[in-house]
Amino acid sequence: MRHPFLIAAALLSGAALFAQTAAEPPQLGALARANLTKPRPKPPFDLTGTWMHGGGPNNGFRFSPPPGFKLTPAAQVQYDAAQKAAKAGKVYHDDIGQCWPAGLPVIMTRVWPIAMVQAPTAVFMISGFMNSTRIIYLDGRKHTDPDLVVRSFNGESIGHWEGDTLVVDTTGFVDDHHWIDTGIPATDALHIVERMRLIDNGNTLEIAYTLADPKSWEGEWKMTKRWHRVEDTDITEASCLPDLNEHMPSTHSSVNVR
Amino acid sequence: MTKFFACFVFLAALVAIPASAHHSMAGFDRTKTVTLSGTVKQFKWANPHSWIEMEVPDGKGGVMPWNVEMTSPAVLIRAGWKSSLLKPGDKVSVAFHPQVSGEPGGIFVSVTTAEGRTLTDKPASSAAPSDAPPAQPK
Repeated sequence: MRHPFLIAAALLSGAALFAQTAAEPPQLGALARANLTKPRPKPPFDLTGTWMHGGGPNNGFRFSPPPGFKLTPAAQVQYDAAQKAAKAGKVYHDDIGQCWPAGLPVIMTRVWPIAMVQAPTAVFMISGFMNSTRIIYLDGRKHTDPDLVVRSFNGESIGHWEGDTLVVDTTGFVDDHHWIDTGIPATDALHIVERMRLIDNGNTLEIAYTLADPKSWEGEWKMTKRWHRVEDTDITEASCLPDLNEHMPSTHSSVNVR
Repeated sequence: MTKFFACFVFLAALVAIPASAHHSMAGFDRTKTVTLSGTVKQFKWANPHSWIEMEVPDGKGGVMPWNVEMTSPAVLIRAGWKSSLLKPGDKVSVAFHPQVSGEPGGIFVSVTTAEGRTLTDKPASSAAPSDAPPAQPK
């Protein structure tokens, strides 16, 4: 007697699944014409331009931990090793010098300009440093299922507007060779929220950061960074190449702790 | 006018900081400057860093290769450089901050060519002394 009931239930759930699938068309690419031309409110600002981090007080390039920070035991091991290396005059895990991508957030404050192009559906950021590409989707999509996301150094950034602020939520990071600061590892649990504003008549980009990574530290770290427009430069190709590195003492030194 | 000049120097400093380096420079001893005379083997004009490979007499009748790491071409251009400025075979004198490890290499401070021309990696308008340690990212 249960057999017909099970068949009916299976049919019903199958129909529900079909209805759900039918209701959710595949995500259009950010540059798909149908996506670009969808009616949307006018954005409060346009980031298109070339930007350089730096200048002004409290605007260092490092994402240093706040006073009194508390690391997880796993991260503390790395941090202690980095402190020990520094005391011995050594360089701890300079992965960027070994051609690993800098990754978010530090890619934002390299000493290289960042070209930003804003479309209605996404902001494309290309750093002059290793031409690292970062895309912030503005087309209403959700984060990719963690089981499906292809993890990366810059993560997956989804933005939405709150008044005059672009709020960007980034997850989906790799869990190795990615550092927040010397000896402070980023993991796949890293979650970054950036609140972006244009100030100073659109000449300064201010980003308030909230960094959380429960596998590396407790609580949230907050800091604010600023970029200024540079009108007389473009980004250029830059690649980390084995033959270039061979001639750079900084990447080959025996004081590098790997 | 003074205000204008101060502003200009500040801007020049801002422009000078970029592309100083892209990773840790802690392996160089910035308290020391070494000057070596030798022959250019290669001068690489490239992003993210240019470099000079030079051969320096080792005092035993042979030569020792030394690599001197530099900043990016964009910064060097502002300091008056061109890719053709150094060629293999050129006799040069290069000042640099040596590696703390004692290995044969360092980070660039200045070069003096056979013609007696001296170049740093700082713009001529910059008030910063050529061997002042710039802000370095890790």
